[in-house]
Amino acid sequence: MSKSENVAHTQSLLLVTFLLMVNGLALAQDDRPNFLLIVADDMGYSDLGSYGGEINTPVLDDLAQQGMRYTDFYVSPTCSVTRSMLLSGTDNHVAGLGNMGELLAPNQVGQPGYEGVLNKRVATVASLLRDSGYHTYMVGKWHLGLQPDQIPHARGFERDFSLLVGGGSHFDDQWNVEWQIPRGPYTEDGRPVAKLPKDFYSTKNYTDKTIQFIGEGRGDGKPFFAYMAFTAPHGPLQVPDDWLRRYKNQYDEGWDVIRIRRLARMQELGIVEEGVSTAERLWFLPRASMLAPGVRVMLGRKMELYASMVEYMDDQIGRVFDYLKQIGEYDNTVVIFFSDNGAEGNDLVGMLAGRPGTMGYLHAANNFAEASHNFIGRKGSFAEYGPAWAQVSMAPFRLFKGFVAEGGTRSPLIVSGPGVQGAGGINTNAILHIMDLTPTLLELAGVEHPATFQGRDIVPMQGKSWVQMLTGAAQSPRSSDDWLGFELFGNRAIRQGDWKISWHYRPFGTWDWQLFNLDADPGEQYDLSEKFPKKRAELMALWDEYVEMNGVIIGNRSPYEQARKSFPEAVLDSDSYPPVRGLEAIPHKKLIELLSQ
Amino acid sequence: MKKVNGPARFLALVAFPVAVSLICGPAIAQDDGARAYWKGRAGTNVVSFQYLNMHLDASDALQFDPAHYIYPSADADADIFIANYARHMTLFNRPASLMVNVVGGSVEADFDTSLTPPEFLPPGVVPGVSFSQSASGYADPSVQLDVNLLGTPPLKAGFDLLNYEPTWTLDAAVMLGVPLGEYDSSKVVNLGLNRFFGRIAFPFKYHFGVFAPGYMSSLEVVPSVWLFAENDNFVGQKLENDPLWQLEAHWTHDFTRHFFGSIDLLYRNGFQSEINGVDVGSDLEIGDVGVTLNFQVTDNLTLRTSFSSNVFGDSNIDTSMVRLQVVYAWHKAMQNMKKLGNE
Repeated sequence: MSKSENVAHTQSLLLVTFLLMVNGLALAQDDRPNFLLIVADDMGYSDLGSYGGEINTPVLDDLAQQGMRYTDFYVSPTCSVTRSMLLSGTDNHVAGLGNMGELLAPNQVGQPGYEGVLNKRVATVASLLRDSGYHTYMVGKWHLGLQPDQIPHARGFERDFSLLVGGGSHFDDQWNVEWQIPRGPYTEDGRPVAKLPKDFYSTKNYTDKTIQFIGEGRGDGKPFFAYMAFTAPHGPLQVPDDWLRRYKNQYDEGWDVIRIRRLARMQELGIVEEGVSTAERLWFLPRASMLAPGVRVMLGRKMELYASMVEYMDDQIGRVFDYLKQIGEYDNTVVIFFSDNGAEGNDLVGMLAGRPGTMGYLHAANNFAEASHNFIGRKGSFAEYGPAWAQVSMAPFRLFKGFVAEGGTRSPLIVSGPGVQGAGGINTNAILHIMDLTPTLLELAGVEHPATFQGRDIVPMQGKSWVQMLTGAAQSPRSSDDWLGFELFGNRAIRQGDWKISWHYRPFGTWDWQLFNLDADPGEQYDLSEKFPKKRAELMALWDEYVEMNGVIIGNRSPYEQARKSFPEAVLDSDSYPPVRGLEAIPHKKLIELLSQ
Repeated sequence: MKKVNGPARFLALVAFPVAVSLICGPAIAQDDGARAYWKGRAGTNVVSFQYLNMHLDASDALQFDPAHYIYPSADADADIFIANYARHMTLFNRPASLMVNVVGGSVEADFDTSLTPPEFLPPGVVPGVSFSQSASGYADPSVQLDVNLLGTPPLKAGFDLLNYEPTWTLDAAVMLGVPLGEYDSSKVVNLGLNRFFGRIAFPFKYHFGVFAPGYMSSLEVVPSVWLFAENDNFVGQKLENDPLWQLEAHWTHDFTRHFFGSIDLLYRNGFQSEINGVDVGSDLEIGDVGVTLNFQVTDNLTLRTSFSSNVFGDSNIDTSMVRLQVVYAWHKAMQNMKKLGNE
C-alpha cells in the first residue's frame, strides 16, 4: 500500500469511527448511520433548483446546501438496469439486467446476466445491511422481478411497500403500463396488496409508509436503511387535483426559452462551465417560438404537470426529513438523492398503445385513453411531456432516457449527512457511478462484501466507495485511468476522464463510434474521431475489455433499430439558423481551444 | 415520439366543440335552455333553428307565454319556429354575446267564454258561446346582449379557451323585443304583441367536475324579469301587465364527450293583467319541469331535444312543450385550420 493509500485508508477508518460515535452513544447501541436513499424516477438533470431548474424544490435545495452536489454522476439509460447496479454494486450485465426484462433480444434470452431480473449472482446491499444489524425498508418501484424469490422481501428488505413493475397509474386504479400485467402488482412486507386505498397517490403513500416503517422500527437501537424509490415523475404525469395547476401557464413560452434560462442558472451555480458546448435542440423538434400560442399552451401543460410532480415529491421528502428531525435521527442519517436515468423523451404511450387492434391498444383504451387538455394529469390519463421538454430537463446534455448519451445517463446527485464534508459545495471533478452506492454504504456501515452469500458464490462489486471523497480526502473515487462502460439496447459508450466514445443507432448516432470531449463539449455535439483517432482507438479497446469483463451480448434486436425510419437524419442544429432575432450563437471556447491543439 | 404537428390539429378540433355546444339564447319566452350561457371564443358564430310544439289546456286565466296572452278556459296548440343567430365577442374586455331571434309559426285556440270577463271578448263574440281563433306568421323579433361579469376571462384566442376552466360565472343579459310581428287588433290570439317587451337576466352557473369533454357538469340558474310596455289596442282596449318574474335552472351532465343531458326547471310568477286600468284575473304561477338531451353530431353540428310540462304552480293549468333544435357553429380560424388539415 502506498503512502497516499495509507493516508486515505486511515481517513476512511476515521470517518467510520466518527459515524459510529455520532451523538456520543455507546457502540453497543449500534450508532452506525442511518441511510436514506431517495431515487426519483425519470427526473432530469437540471430540474432541481439546486441544479438550475425553475421548479420549486426547496427541500432538496436545502439538502444540497447541507451536503454536496456532484455533476458527473452516471446511471443507466433506463430504470431497472440502474436499480440492478444500485442494489448490487456491480455491472448490470452481470447482475441480470443486461437488458430490460421486457425488451430482451432473442439472442440474449437465457444467457447469464440477461435473466431480466436481479439474479442470484449478487447479494443486495439491503441483504448485507440487514444481516449486519440494520433495519431495511423499501417503498416504491422495484422492477427487478415478480416471483416470490425475486421481490423486495426476498432480496433483503424486511419491510416494503412496493410496486413490482416499471410504472403505471399513480392512483388507486393501479393500471400497469403493460397489458400483459394489466394491474400493477404491489406488495407489502412480501405479501400481495389486494387493493389500494381510494385516496392512494404514489408519492404520498410511499412517504406515509416510509415514515410508518421508520417509526415502527425504532426503539431497538438498530439503524435503518430506507430505500425510497419514488415513481415520480415517471409517466403518466399525474398529480392530486389541487396540484394540477400549480405551474399554470409557466411553460407557455416553450422549451427553448426555459432551457436557455436553465443553462444560465446552471452556469451561475457552477453546474455547467461557461464557454462549453451545450447540446443542440434535437433536429426533429421545432423551435418553440414557431409554434402557435395555443399549441405552446397545450404542450406547456404537460411540463406543468411534470413540474408539479417534482415539487410534490420534494414536498413529501420534506415530510420524511421533518419526521427524522422529530425523532432525533436526521443528524445521524446519510441522505442520498438522485434520479434513476435521464428524463423520459420517448413516446411510451405510442410504444405501448400505438397500434389499433393490439392488446396494448385495448389496454390503453380501457385504462388511460383520456387525453383532453383539461383532463390530463388526472386518474385515467397518460400524459408524457415528450422529447422537447425532456431535453430541457436534461440540459445541457443531448438526448434523454434510453440512450447512452449524457442525456440518458447523467443524474443529479446530492449526498448529505454525518461525515460529508463541503456543505453547499459542488464537486465537478468526481466521476461517479450508480454501482458505487453499494460499496459506499457498506463501507459506511462497516460491512465487508462477502464472497459467498447464503451458501452461494456472489460476484465482487465493481463500484468504488465514495467514503474518501465524502470526507474530503479525495476529489474522486476514480483516477484518470479508470473508465466506465455502458450498454443498453445496443447503444454503447465508454467514458475515461474527459473523453467518451459512444455508439448509437441512426439517426441518434452514426452506427459507428463517435468521440467526444466532455470537458469542452458536454452536449456531445462535435465528433472528434478524425481529430483524435488514437484516443478513439484507446477507448474502443476499453469497450472490448468491458464486453469481455461483463459478458455483454449485443442484442440482435433493439427498440431503436428502426429509428431511422421514424426520424429524419440528424443535422447539426444551430442557434443562429434559421436566424431569430435575440438568439445569438454561443461560441464554444473550450471546444475551439481543443480543436486548435 | 410525438410529432409536434399533432397538437396543432388537436387544437383546432378541441376548441370547436366548446363553441358548438353553445346554444342560442332566448327565442321565444320559454326557457333559454341548458348551457345557453356557456362561453365561446370571440368570433364564434352560432346559428340555431328550433321547432317548438306547445300545448295549453287551462281552466282559468293565464298566459301561454309572455308574448302571447291566452284566454281563460282555453285550449291552445302552437307550432313555433325560431331562427336564432348569436355571435360571441368581447365587450369592454369581457366575454359577451349578441343574439338576434326571429320567431314565426302558428297558434290555434279554442275558447269557452262562459267564464270570460266581457273585456276580453272580441267583437262579435257572444258570452257563453265557444269560439276558435288562430294566428300565423312572424312573431316579434328580439335581440339580446349578454355580458359576463365574473368568472370568465375574455376568450379571444384558442389558447384562452385552453386555459379556461371555469368554476362559477355570473352574467348580465338584456333582451329587447320589438313589435314587428303579426298583430290583428280584432283578435285575442296573435303572434305579435303590439308592444315592446324586454327582459333583464343574471345568468349564474357553477361548474362541477373536470372541465373537459365527457366530464362536465353544471348547475345553471337564471333569475330574470320580463317587462312589458302597454298594448294600446288589445281588441280596442288598453292592456298592461305587471312584470313576470322568472327563475330558470338546469342541472347538466356529460354522458359522453358528445352527449349531455339536463334536468330543467322553469318557474314563472306575476304578469297580472290590467285592462283599461282594471285588474283582470290574478297573478300567473307556473312551474315547469323537463329534460333535455343534446348530441353533438360533428365539430360544428349539434342536435337537441327537450320536453317539459308544468308540475307545480296554478293547479288549473296543463302545459307541455316539445322542442327540437339544430345548432350549427363555426369560427373562421378553426374552419381555416381544418381546411389546412385536409389538404
